[in-house]
Amino acid sequence: MTDLIERELSLPASVADVWRAITDPQWLSGWLADDVELELLPGGEASFTIGDEVRTGWVEEVSAPAADRDGGTGCLAFWWARDDEPASRVELVITETSDARTRLRVVETRPLEILDLVGVPLGGHGSTRFGPALVAA
Amino acid sequence: MTEDQAGAVFGALADPMRRRLLTAISEHPSTATELATAFPISRQAVAKHLNSLSEAGLLDREKAGRDVRYHVTPAPLSSAVTWMAEVGGQWDGRLARLAGALSEPGAGQRGEMPR
Repeated sequence: MTDLIERELSLPASVADVWRAITDPQWLSGWLADDVELELLPGGEASFTIGDEVRTGWVEEVSAPAADRDGGTGCLAFWWARDDEPASRVELVITETSDARTRLRVVETRPLEILDLVGVPLGGHGSTRFGPALVAA
Repeated sequence: MTEDQAGAVFGALADPMRRRLLTAISEHPSTATELATAFPISRQAVAKHLNSLSEAGLLDREKAGRDVRYHVTPAPLSSAVTWMAEVGGQWDGRLARLAGALSEPGAGQRGEMPR
């Protein structure tokens, strides 16, 4: 069983601007969390501070939008977890639309049973890594 | 569990009569006929409520002769429902902030997001 949240919205900005808004830590620190650090490459470390809560995680996929490819679609996927809670996966996909706007689709999933199945420690700080092997599994 | 399923659970639990029926069934598995005797509503109304609760996955049906006996589903729905309500609400807030920031004139030209 996978718990899943899905949201989609149309933003009044170009795909390049929205890409910056969802990948630049300074922008992310304005809407996703109070303070975001994120190495923008697969396997990169990430941390998210929300009030006095700190989530740690890692970047799974970075696919910047390019006009000559996929019709201006970009994707950022990362995992995050609170200290003692199961990790969940966040996928942000942006697509240029014909009205000079950009559609953003957010999917957050919590694949509890997969994590249990492969014996991955759930959540946690520092030492805990939920690596790419998990995604392949 | 999907958000739709979570929505069905919230919808089913929004009605006070359904909550009372669910509580009664959790204490003692019952048929619609038995519940109609115990509650001030018709058997037909009870059956309708039980149907909503079943569709939301909160009740299981078991054949009892010509009648159907209802049990409360033991599945741990609460964790999934809580997670979805909380995480869904967080995304609504985040995306509203993002949309607001990107709507500001010249937002795209600046390298830094206005705080």
